[in-house]
Amino acid sequence: MDATAIQRAASAAGSPGRRDVEPNATLVARIDLTSTIARFTIRPDGGPLPFEPGQYFALGLTLAGRLVQRPYSTASAPGSARDLEFLVRLVEGGTFTPRLWALPVGARLRVGPAKGLFTLRRRDPRTHLFIATGTGLAPFLSMLAALAADEAAWPGTNPTSPRAVVVHGVSHVAELAYRDRLERMAAGPTRVRYSPVVSRPTHPDNAGWTGLTGRLDAHIDELCDVHRLVPAESVAYLCGNPGVIATAERILTAHGLAREAIVSEQYWPPEEHTPAG
Amino acid sequence: MAYVIAEPCIDNTDQSCVAVCPVDCIAADPSVDRKFYIDPDGCIDCGSCESACPNQAIFRADKLPPSRVDFAWIDATWYRDPQAARDAVDGVASAA
Repeated sequence: MDATAIQRAASAAGSPGRRDVEPNATLVARIDLTSTIARFTIRPDGGPLPFEPGQYFALGLTLAGRLVQRPYSTASAPGSARDLEFLVRLVEGGTFTPRLWALPVGARLRVGPAKGLFTLRRRDPRTHLFIATGTGLAPFLSMLAALAADEAAWPGTNPTSPRAVVVHGVSHVAELAYRDRLERMAAGPTRVRYSPVVSRPTHPDNAGWTGLTGRLDAHIDELCDVHRLVPAESVAYLCGNPGVIATAERILTAHGLAREAIVSEQYWPPEEHTPAG
Repeated sequence: MAYVIAEPCIDNTDQSCVAVCPVDCIAADPSVDRKFYIDPDGCIDCGSCESACPNQAIFRADKLPPSRVDFAWIDATWYRDPQAARDAVDGVASAA
């Protein structure tokens, strides 16, 4: 049992069912990308919370007298970040996200400790292939920041290979969160490549899009070749839609990546069609 | 639809589920309880606990085997009346 489990068990002792419900953080910023996708930035009361890149935090609101929580991976850089940023999709009819959407900046909410095993393996010299659908991009922003920090302190990777390849699949161009930041990275000296994919190119909202189109998983093989990924020198992180993840795992395995070189996090159970909202 | 912890957990509490639950809705008093309990009001149906349990003790409530349906009541009850839930667990264990 890890420290979190011990803490949880200890907190339950003598007071079954009770949990901390008091708000311990403030919503300090919000950027709406579309009517259903937004970036939320919260500031924990007690200062920066420790986390590993790729981990998530449970955000909580008290609704009808009980704490309702949902887990979200943070996009923030680990280390000294005072604030935590999350990329969230509004689930129409959900219990939590419609209330989160209604919060004004300055509102109070609860944030739990960092959790999750989908974390960046530090000091890994292999090329990192980050494949995300929708809001599954968030943990990769955190991982990219950690990679960049490690690179500065540890320039031991192959300078002729990409350090990271980011493949982000969305339905609409406006859902390409952090597009500017990723394009800047791709244009800079960090050896990051960025390949966004828009699945509905004929939708009026996507007029003018000249990049990759269709299902993200249909492009994986091609992108492995374009970016000259060497299977034995690559590690893949997959996050988001479980159907796409399953297909991507099969493609990457067929491409020659070892099973241990493919790490994934599903944002909802495979048998469900949407995440809890 | 919440997940439920059934009798394979009784006196065999691995607690991996507690570590992976993203919303901390699995609890017990280890000094008294013989199993862990999922709060149906807090569970977000992610299924992480089911995958993590090495004892195959966790089921979606709507997929509980008929012989284990009482555990949905036991888990929910522990969060309002822990002694009633413990008595029910003792009853299941003694009948096994």
